[in-house]
Amino acid sequence: MHELSIAQNVLEIVSEQCTRSGHTKIDSVNLRIGRASGIMPDALIFAFDAIKSDSIARDAVLNIEEIPVTGLCNDCSHSFIVQEEYILNCPACKGSSFQIRSGRELDIIDMEVS
Amino acid sequence: MKVKVVTKILEANERIARENRRLFDNAALFVINLMSGPGAGKTSILEKTLTLKTGLRIGVIEGDIAGSDDAERIEKHGAPVVQINTGGACHLDANMIHEVLQDLPLQDLDLLFIENVGNLVCPAEFKVGEDIKVMVLSIAEGHDKPLKYPLMFQESSALLLNKIDLAPYLDVDINKIKKDALSLNPGLKIFEISCKTGEGLSAWTDWLKEKALRS
Ligand SMILES: [Zn+2]
Repeated sequence: MHELSIAQNVLEIVSEQCTRSGHTKIDSVNLRIGRASGIMPDALIFAFDAIKSDSIARDAVLNIEEIPVTGLCNDCSHSFIVQEEYILNCPACKGSSFQIRSGRELDIIDMEVS
Repeated sequence: MKVKVVTKILEANERIARENRRLFDNAALFVINLMSGPGAGKTSILEKTLTLKTGLRIGVIEGDIAGSDDAERIEKHGAPVVQINTGGACHLDANMIHEVLQDLPLQDLDLLFIENVGNLVCPAEFKVGEDIKVMVLSIAEGHDKPLKYPLMFQESSALLLNKIDLAPYLDVDINKIKKDALSLNPGLKIFEISCKTGEGLSAWTDWLKEKALRS
């Protein structure tokens, strides 16, 4: 599903960059995934492991750093981490108007190659 | 050794989305990515939009996991339509759209709807080159949706609250939906509509005309 297309994108990007850097094997890949990105880390790792076997990333371990969802209150400018699955109110003023500042990341940071 | 990558995972998709965007701009075409959960009534809304005399030349790309029922419904109204089957994928991506653009008379259209696969989680992540996203939520889906899928509400320019005729029969707080959606996205334009009674549809098509003809 969704995780599979994300895993395919990751595999393409890291394989190309590995080859371009003159290496032949990827040992690990580090990702940063926001909790509001709609991606389940376990499902992404599962999908990556399922498609990597015929590639130069066949032995690669996928490490995922999860980024919390943070909000910035429009009423009192309080910056807060959204703990719940649902977003409710600003913890400081209980206001319900806020912007999401982080948590939507879908980034590849770096990788270990040999 | 360590190699810095620092790339958005969806960079390839975004590159193709920009290429689609260029083709749309060349044709002075306004493009709407229409998104919803399953069964919210996207195809019915498109059918109604096509039957109301908007004066707009409208084309449709239908995205479904499988089948062509929705495209056949649109075709009956005489609109150019292309079906995309995603073969299991839960969203359309920029490349799927790119591949079918040659099958549509882009230069002869004012407005193109891309009806995305029914799914509230991921279509918002995959840009396809659209001008705006419009989201459909049937009131039968309940009032917890905005806070459960904030991204979708934040990215949309308009929200169509569909099946408003069912309000007397449902235990749903429409004002809460509107309030939560607006707190996530104060600029969101909300239309309460019913494809069954026709309520709210002319306000929607007036807004569409204004958007499409300004582009
Ligand atoms: Zn506050």
